[in-house]
Amino acid sequence: MVDYSVIGRQADAVRSREVVTGQARYCPDIRLPGMLVGKLLYPELPCARITRLDVSVARTLPGVVTVLTAKDIPGENSYLYAPPADQPLLVPVRVRYQGDALAAVAAETEESAQAALNAIQVEYEPLEGVYDVLEAMKPGAQQVWSDRENVYDHLVIDHGDIEAGFKQADIIIEHTYLTPLVEHAFMETEGAVAYRDGDGTMVVYSSCQAPHRDRMQIARSLGLPENQVRVITPHIGGAFGGKDEAHVQIHAALLAQASGRPVRIIRSREESILTHVKRHPVIVRYRSGITRDGKLTAVHAEAIGDTGPYLNAGKDVMNFVAATLSGPYFVPHARLESYTVFTNNPICGAMRGYGIPQASFAYEAQMDLLARAINMDPLEIRLLNGLETGMQVPTGVTIREGRGMKICLQEAAHLSGWKEHDKEDRQPAPHLRRGWGIASIWFSIGMGRNIPDHATATLEMTLDGSVILHTGAADMGQGAHTALAQMAAEAIGVKFEAVKVIGPDTDRTFDAGPSVASRQTFISGNAVLRAAQPVREALLQTASELTGLPMEILQLKQGLVLAEDEVLSLTVSELAVKAMEQNRRLQADGFYAMEYPEPLPPHSYRYAPSVFTFGTQVAQVLVDIETGQVTLEKLVVVQDAGKVINPGGARGQVEGGVIMGLGYALMEELLVGRGSTQNLNLGNYLIPTAKDVPGLIVKIMEIPEPYAPYGAKGLGEPPLTPTAPAILNAVVDAIGIPLYRIPLTPERILTAIEAHHAENPPNDV
Amino acid sequence: MNEIEIHLAVNGIPRTIQSEPGNTLLEILRDKLGLTGTKEGCGAGDCGACVVVMDGQAVNACLVLAAQAEGTQVITVEGLAQDGNLHPLQSYFAEKWALQCGFCTPGMLMSCYALLLNNPNPDPDEIRDAISGNLCRCGTYQSVVEAVLATVKMSQEARGG
Repeated sequence: MVDYSVIGRQADAVRSREVVTGQARYCPDIRLPGMLVGKLLYPELPCARITRLDVSVARTLPGVVTVLTAKDIPGENSYLYAPPADQPLLVPVRVRYQGDALAAVAAETEESAQAALNAIQVEYEPLEGVYDVLEAMKPGAQQVWSDRENVYDHLVIDHGDIEAGFKQADIIIEHTYLTPLVEHAFMETEGAVAYRDGDGTMVVYSSCQAPHRDRMQIARSLGLPENQVRVITPHIGGAFGGKDEAHVQIHAALLAQASGRPVRIIRSREESILTHVKRHPVIVRYRSGITRDGKLTAVHAEAIGDTGPYLNAGKDVMNFVAATLSGPYFVPHARLESYTVFTNNPICGAMRGYGIPQASFAYEAQMDLLARAINMDPLEIRLLNGLETGMQVPTGVTIREGRGMKICLQEAAHLSGWKEHDKEDRQPAPHLRRGWGIASIWFSIGMGRNIPDHATATLEMTLDGSVILHTGAADMGQGAHTALAQMAAEAIGVKFEAVKVIGPDTDRTFDAGPSVASRQTFISGNAVLRAAQPVREALLQTASELTGLPMEILQLKQGLVLAEDEVLSLTVSELAVKAMEQNRRLQADGFYAMEYPEPLPPHSYRYAPSVFTFGTQVAQVLVDIETGQVTLEKLVVVQDAGKVINPGGARGQVEGGVIMGLGYALMEELLVGRGSTQNLNLGNYLIPTAKDVPGLIVKIMEIPEPYAPYGAKGLGEPPLTPTAPAILNAVVDAIGIPLYRIPLTPERILTAIEAHHAENPPNDV
Repeated sequence: MNEIEIHLAVNGIPRTIQSEPGNTLLEILRDKLGLTGTKEGCGAGDCGACVVVMDGQAVNACLVLAAQAEGTQVITVEGLAQDGNLHPLQSYFAEKWALQCGFCTPGMLMSCYALLLNNPNPDPDEIRDAISGNLCRCGTYQSVVEAVLATVKMSQEARGG
């Protein structure tokens, strides 16, 4: 075991003092002289043609400085998350969903900006939209686009011989699983502040996950070279994927450019829920074959995702659903399919989990029904089929490090007392039923093959031995900056407190890619290690010259200089001064790109990721069969992290993910009727509160990942993904009736119980 | 607009503020006094990001009209630290990682501060009750409970008991 002095040790989050004193500045807290209030106009109908858009009155109102429509945009009128750039910034003619923007205004006050929106005259020709994903797939359905089919993408991942696989099965079962449309509900709504600097640079403070992509998008829409745009992230109040694509930063910059004044746009909570991308509601048809002794022989699963009218990350998310639908199990024959389907519902794309919450819900609910069909314990069937290192999965990838699957399963079983459950009280009162459920997941880290996945980090050692780390990686609260600072401290050999982090500022930091896909610990972490190496070497070389000792026995640790285990009377500062005098460089860049040394066999899925993490959760629930209320009594969470960089941060990521997962299981669902969202605030879109969180028993496993910095891999998303199926399986165990849909609202549970009693009259009880 | 004059004490400092009748306490704090530590998360009293302590009670500042704040004593997150020394709640929030993105943290801190004013020795359920109106999407609830318990323990030890 390597003895680290900073890695794996507790440290407060960088900049936490600013947060607890209220000094942390988020976009809404930024005030600039002469700053205007920016607002966007949203349509009254989710699907329409604009026949008249008259802003002439609005432009004349007192306090109104600028009103922009589509034709006022100097550059490209579209977002460019990835090609095709199909979503306009301001709709010229055709409204395709409730969150399309029609016009942008900048005014002296909130009131005058609102008055300007009210004074814009819009006439619509209502159009027939398509609001049901299965309807949208039918021939002759209303088309969202005239030049593209509603079924934008149909991916088929074929592995082995699916027919032969089903022939080997003793039992085949097939069910359909449904997951809801879900909202990120980051506490800070989307915001941006833009102003033109003295030299003409457009400076944009942006609450975002992808500052360098923001810069590119702003430049292309304003018609500026990219080096005339500077994107800075202030504190970011959560994101969870929902601030991966640009939101209002391009609009704020357009308004600042047109008005010549600073402009701030902050979305209201209603606007936030109305507009940004959501987690896809997905329908999964899942068919699997199994032998009587419990071996999976074949899986054929199809996932249908309602992606809304614009592509965004929709296809990528749905392809991830397909690529993981076989679950963390060895499946010799598989056909995994995804459909990405346009509708006039809200846009769907990245949200914590990126397709895996939908996939894991289906494969883990199905796994329990398979276990039930052959009368096998749910733990046993998972242990019997679980992935291992070296096994090939349907995408064509061979698992690099797969021990985590069974280690997490066994640990969760142990911590939850899985074998002891039946000794506990299953019916503590006549109307109450207790049950237990288990669920395991696999989760890929990084963007996937053939997708850009790299980062640069820069380190500077100063003459007093303190260090400045520049990173373009956005920290939205997940703790990336703290983890990177710890890695820098460890890798150079200074104390954690000696490292200061400069976060994304595109004039000062290099591109680290977006903070998505649980990738920054791995990718930016490796970049930091590569930057640290030459700095450390320059210091050690200097130490060797000063002491006459060979470099191999010298070490830097916590700011001390050691020869083997003996602390020398030299400081890092002295080394830095000496190194500088000898013209040695004490600044360095590190660049890292995800490596895929294993070749893929032919016909593999071309984006197949290679790094996987595993986790298992066990839920204990109490169901009131009279009210349908589910109480989550206990949740055991075992998650592989490769290596914990910061215990507090790691625990926060795991618990936070799990709490979002329990919201997914029990309460969260955006209700959309004919393209209009009904629950537009946090009073009717309910997320978990402190009182919804049960006793959590969390254990983080450390199974080092090859190629990862200190063996650490991402932890931001995976813990969310087993929670919903574990809870569902526990509820099914409690009431003895299969369920196929989340959230498990009291109504749904009562309906299922009633339907079951109607089919099975209770005279056999 | 007919402006009204509001008198209140914020973090111990008496203030006289010209306000429009429709202004909320949140707007007064953020826009008139520049105390942007108090956040707006929903504008509807659903999320608790704007919780401040008014006359010893936690209130959602977005739901308090300016006139209702007349003559009150208001404490915001900026008023917790004294002479540059963090309040123990603040120290334990940082130490226990009872914050991630930090946007709910000021409101969360003020709900906990109000709880301890009224109940110096709360149990975990009472703490959960006290913060049940503070939404944290990052999911720091468990750590918040631990930070409050650590604060209670420390103050009991400081009092010798």
